[in-house]
Amino acid sequence: MSTKKKITVALAGNPNAGKSSLFNALTGAHQRVGNFPGVTIEKHEGYLDYRDYRINVVDLPGTYSLTPYSPEEIVTRRFIIDEQPDVVVNVVEGTNLERNMMLTVQLMEMEVDLLVALNMMDEVEEKGFKIDIDQLELLLGSHIVPTSARQRKGLDDLLDHIIRVVDGRIEIKKNKISFSLEVEKAIDKIADLLCHEPELDEAANHRWMAIKLLENDREIYSQVQKYPVWVKIELALQEAITECEFLHGTDPEALITEDRHAFVRGAMQECVRKPKAARATVSDYIDSVVLNRALGLPVFFLVVWAIFQLTFTLGAPLMEALDYSFGLLSDTVAPHLPAGIIRSIFVEGVISGVGSVVVFLPNIVLLFMGLSFLEASGYMARAAFVIDKVMHRFGLHGKSFIPMITGFGCSIPAIMATRTLKSRSDRLATIMTIPFMSCGAKLPVYVLLAGAFFPPTMAANVMFAIYFLGIIMGLWTAWLLKSTVLKSDSEPFVMELPPYRWPTFSSVIFQSKMKAVMYLKKAGTLILGAVILIWVASNYPRSAELDAQLARESAKIEASAVASEIKAEQLQKLEAKIEAGQLEYSFAGRSGKLLEPLIRPLGFDWRIGISLVTGLAAKEVVVSTLGTIFSIGHAAGETSLSEILRSEPGFSRATALSLMVFVLLYIPCVAAVGVMKKEIGAWKPVLLYSAYVLAVAWVASFITYHLALLFT
Amino acid sequence: MKLSELKVGDRALVTAVQAEPAVRRRLMDMGLVRGTELEVLRFAPLGDPIEVSCNGLLLTMRRNEAEGITVNKIELCNVPQGVGPGLRKRHRFGRRA
Repeated sequence: MSTKKKITVALAGNPNAGKSSLFNALTGAHQRVGNFPGVTIEKHEGYLDYRDYRINVVDLPGTYSLTPYSPEEIVTRRFIIDEQPDVVVNVVEGTNLERNMMLTVQLMEMEVDLLVALNMMDEVEEKGFKIDIDQLELLLGSHIVPTSARQRKGLDDLLDHIIRVVDGRIEIKKNKISFSLEVEKAIDKIADLLCHEPELDEAANHRWMAIKLLENDREIYSQVQKYPVWVKIELALQEAITECEFLHGTDPEALITEDRHAFVRGAMQECVRKPKAARATVSDYIDSVVLNRALGLPVFFLVVWAIFQLTFTLGAPLMEALDYSFGLLSDTVAPHLPAGIIRSIFVEGVISGVGSVVVFLPNIVLLFMGLSFLEASGYMARAAFVIDKVMHRFGLHGKSFIPMITGFGCSIPAIMATRTLKSRSDRLATIMTIPFMSCGAKLPVYVLLAGAFFPPTMAANVMFAIYFLGIIMGLWTAWLLKSTVLKSDSEPFVMELPPYRWPTFSSVIFQSKMKAVMYLKKAGTLILGAVILIWVASNYPRSAELDAQLARESAKIEASAVASEIKAEQLQKLEAKIEAGQLEYSFAGRSGKLLEPLIRPLGFDWRIGISLVTGLAAKEVVVSTLGTIFSIGHAAGETSLSEILRSEPGFSRATALSLMVFVLLYIPCVAAVGVMKKEIGAWKPVLLYSAYVLAVAWVASFITYHLALLFT
Repeated sequence: MKLSELKVGDRALVTAVQAEPAVRRRLMDMGLVRGTELEVLRFAPLGDPIEVSCNGLLLTMRRNEAEGITVNKIELCNVPQGVGPGLRKRHRFGRRA
């Protein structure tokens, strides 16, 4: 392995250009997800071994441009400048070349070793596009490799090209596009000034820096401002601006962009023959329905509803199957373990606790499959378009909708997904709405409670109502924030609607798999730890008095002159009573008791109090805690948890509803709070927010409980 | 005139783009530079973001961003007889209530 030569390749490209598909096709299983240093953007890295090389591939975030305005653009740029990858592969979409060329041109300006992967060649051929690749190569000065990530075509060719570039067998010509005369003059002048500044890195690309300075690039500005040469540069910039205004009626920034577009347009005219298709394509037709004035919103709600139906209806049988297999597992394991603490920890704690989490995996996978399908198909952007006005009214952005929807899966990726929002206040407001979106971890609680206390047809409606309540509360919170503490300009809504595309099966599966793994990791570590902790807390300390009572009374029963069956029954009852007493005596019982006066008005007793505390670890732990606590009084495996809860006198429909509302609204899991802190950057707002959600949860549960009492 | 004043089905040439630097830059990168031809495709169901096509792309923006884009409307002089009313109907559909 170590003998292999290392190559670093960066993939750059527009969003939706198939960059990630190419990345997946190239690196397969050898992938890592991290964060770019300093910013909160995901970094996908992977490697593959090809010939004598180990090729490290970094999937840069998708951008339309390399301006310093969005974090994605900054990351992409910095990576190329600072990390100096051996080759930058610009992934372009063959069917949308003109759009994609804008980034290509900007990469050319950076004078990096650039290869163009002309992706989606299958579609290009299908649609009858003719692209003169040789001519385009000539114009761009870099090699173009036709690929189809989807069909895994052209990958080896691309890799061979990469190696040839690194070996110097392909010379990258580094063509530059020429701008308007005045701009060129200014560029030369400024580049010359930059050359005379010895402090500035010799290797730095002065022409590029000059262009950026003319483009008002604040990053480069602050870089150059430190040096004495700045005085002269500032003068030259002023001069250029005046001249451009005078001669062209616009500033250099616009002029440069116009020139780039002109270059691209010219290149397209020379190299691309589009089919003379009818104007109305399938995409237009779909949009005329989906974005229709009258149908747009119904379609939107229908889509969201369909995703939920898919998740819950299809998920249910799979869930039952998993539940059954976990039951089977604990039945097979139990006899092989020595009776006592070990068996108790394993069977009652680990297997049932982790089982209660894993059971919901199908739902989470299905939800994410639905969401990634929507994303890949191109509907997600349309959804943002349709719903932006509503979101805007609450002070949010149409794009806030996507993280919010993701929040139905898990708050953590959802909070991270707010990174697509550039305005800080929009972003904060969106982050604050996410915990109100019922995440997958809350689902187990609803499934248990709604399933136990409502008939199957009603249960789905109850759950829908809970989800809906969450959305309302989330939007209300956003509005509250945006009209008070986060009052500021909102982010503009400037978006591209990508063409509709049939998502590939593998990409949808891949996305969902990643999420599933994340969820399981959470289940395997945090929740497992929590489950064991809860088990200990609810079993210790033991009351010696109760133990003595158990011994005393069981001896009495043994000695009594009744039939052995009745004896066994009496013994069992006694044990249950003592166990319940022990729980009350334990740490968990005591803290639950401590909470009881506070939560009594919501219809909760101390046992539910315990589960709410442990639920802070992760919401699904509420279920496992309820399972642990409520089944202690019952013989193991005797009845299902929902039956046990139904038989509890203190647990009514009203309690169930109130508990669902409370779980929906109160503080999100520790992991989510941690991520919130990380994304916001300070503890204070997070703690204030936690206090706020607690208050909201209390009030909402109080109202729910008392209303439900009236109607049941 | 402003882009926001156009109606559904109108075509126009961009003459200037004004907005705060980041937005302006984004709009320009998306292809809204002087001389670009665009067509207003539709307004969102609730009347706000507006969708235009330019260079074969579908771009969306809010009305207040569209207000910063100055355009020259391309007058349709040779509209065939049957098309006129149809277009007008689309106008009505696209206008905010």
